[in-house]
Amino acid sequence: MERWVLVTAIIGVYLLATLAIGLMAGRRASRSVAGYVAGDRSFGLLVMYFVTGATVFSSFAFLGGPGWAYSRGAAVFYILAYGALGMAPFYWMGPRIAELGRRLGHVTQAQCITGRFPSRTLSALIALMSLVAFVPYITIQIRGAGIVIEAVTEGHVPLWLGSLVAYGIVVVYVLASGVMAVGWTNTFQGVFMVAIAWILGIYLPFRLYGGVGPMFEQITAARPELLVPPGLDGAGEPWTWGAYSTYILVSVVGLMMWPHLFMKAYTAKDDRTLRRTVILFPTFQLFLIPVFLIGFSGVLFPEAPPTSDFILPFMILRTDLPALVVGLFCAGALSASMSTGDALLHASASVVVEDGVSRYVTLDDRQQRLLMRALVLLTGATAFVFALDEDSSLVQLLATAYGIVSQLAPPVLAALYWRRATTAGVLAGLVAGWATAGFFYFQPALKPFDMHEGILGLLIHVPVLVLVSLATKPQDARHQAAYFGDRIESAS
Amino acid sequence: MKLRTARLLTGVYLVVALVVVTWPGMVPFARIRPMVLGLPFSFFWVAAWIAGVVPVLFLLDRVERRHRPREDA
Repeated sequence: MERWVLVTAIIGVYLLATLAIGLMAGRRASRSVAGYVAGDRSFGLLVMYFVTGATVFSSFAFLGGPGWAYSRGAAVFYILAYGALGMAPFYWMGPRIAELGRRLGHVTQAQCITGRFPSRTLSALIALMSLVAFVPYITIQIRGAGIVIEAVTEGHVPLWLGSLVAYGIVVVYVLASGVMAVGWTNTFQGVFMVAIAWILGIYLPFRLYGGVGPMFEQITAARPELLVPPGLDGAGEPWTWGAYSTYILVSVVGLMMWPHLFMKAYTAKDDRTLRRTVILFPTFQLFLIPVFLIGFSGVLFPEAPPTSDFILPFMILRTDLPALVVGLFCAGALSASMSTGDALLHASASVVVEDGVSRYVTLDDRQQRLLMRALVLLTGATAFVFALDEDSSLVQLLATAYGIVSQLAPPVLAALYWRRATTAGVLAGLVAGWATAGFFYFQPALKPFDMHEGILGLLIHVPVLVLVSLATKPQDARHQAAYFGDRIESAS
Repeated sequence: MKLRTARLLTGVYLVVALVVVTWPGMVPFARIRPMVLGLPFSFFWVAAWIAGVVPVLFLLDRVERRHRPREDA
């Protein structure tokens, strides 16, 4: 049998196992919106750890990370820098959000914000912009899956078909089982990703260069500019500190504002679990070290992949590893893609229905779940179309989406911690922030110090939020007391 | 340790970590040598600050738990 057939068979088995886990998981959830969206608030530490890790790290990290290490060198360290710092504030925010959720029945991020700032417009605006940010993110995942499958089957299964099969499976289990499927498949996929990254990341440098140290010595001798931060830009010229630093900043601010991550606060079974997940998260994140090593191992390799995002499967296939191992490695890369893709599809549908549609039309529980399922299909199909004719790098796609998502941080913080904030202030801030980010996204030449458009958006957003809030009437005290759950109103 | 102190120290660690992995805090450490554990210095530098978040949050959690009225022990 030819090697690629065997590898394909292994991937097939892996995909079936994922499907089986996803379908079985759904039988544990109740038939309600809380069951479909928040898993009946039942996830324990093991599931939360892997859901969080596997959801945060996607094709972006697993394929895009090595791709950047390979082509842009030290620029890739930005991906390592932000995760833990973005997650840490959730040690305090997470339990607070979860408590509001339990008491007031929230299952989405916009509900958390509009519970404090009642406004249909605000809710629909957040839903719409979340969707705008989600589509490129889902596109990355679908494209990532296609890249892996095309590479390992040596082109026998083209990108479009590989994407279709992998995401067909994701759609089936998300449709059937909701977030329960996301939780349990991510646990399975998370174990896979981490194990494979560490094994391969250590193995490749030893196999090709005799060790990690010798590999970097050789790169230093041949291309020292690659190893000094902030590394190189997409064109191979030195990257700017302004861009490097603001990429980190915008990602720190934006990370937990991704609706699919934020919403995981509602799935934890208790605060203890949520806090432990935050504490342990950096241990998961360190798997980026071997992931980057995989990319660096390609730098001095005599052959080059078609594009830098292909470097991981490219390097795996050029080792003399047995087909079984290659198959498992590729399954790990697929895990990275699918474990984020499923959460994204699920969250985008939940957000659009809960925060968009059902604010205007009255739907019962059953109709809501039906509509969510229709949207999972629709969003998946849209992203699939984009995945086929997208040619910018995986990392670049996500970095762009962060410009939108990071603008959700001020409203969330204002809702949770600033009692003087008003609905008008939050709305004005959001619109100003998104408008600014959008402007600089389309006019990159005007960006001061090459800063990320999301940070520029925040620089306008925060003052607008504060000033408009202070200029408008403070919120009704009773409304606030109900939101914050104040026991004795007059005592505060 | 008092709860306020623990929170303050955690906050300080997180802010310092952010400062030393971005401009201008990272500039003095944006170098290849000395290599540590086979990694270029700046790579190790970023990884070490990230790894440090685990013990910091762990210690914070120990203090926080002492101050919380009976949580699921």
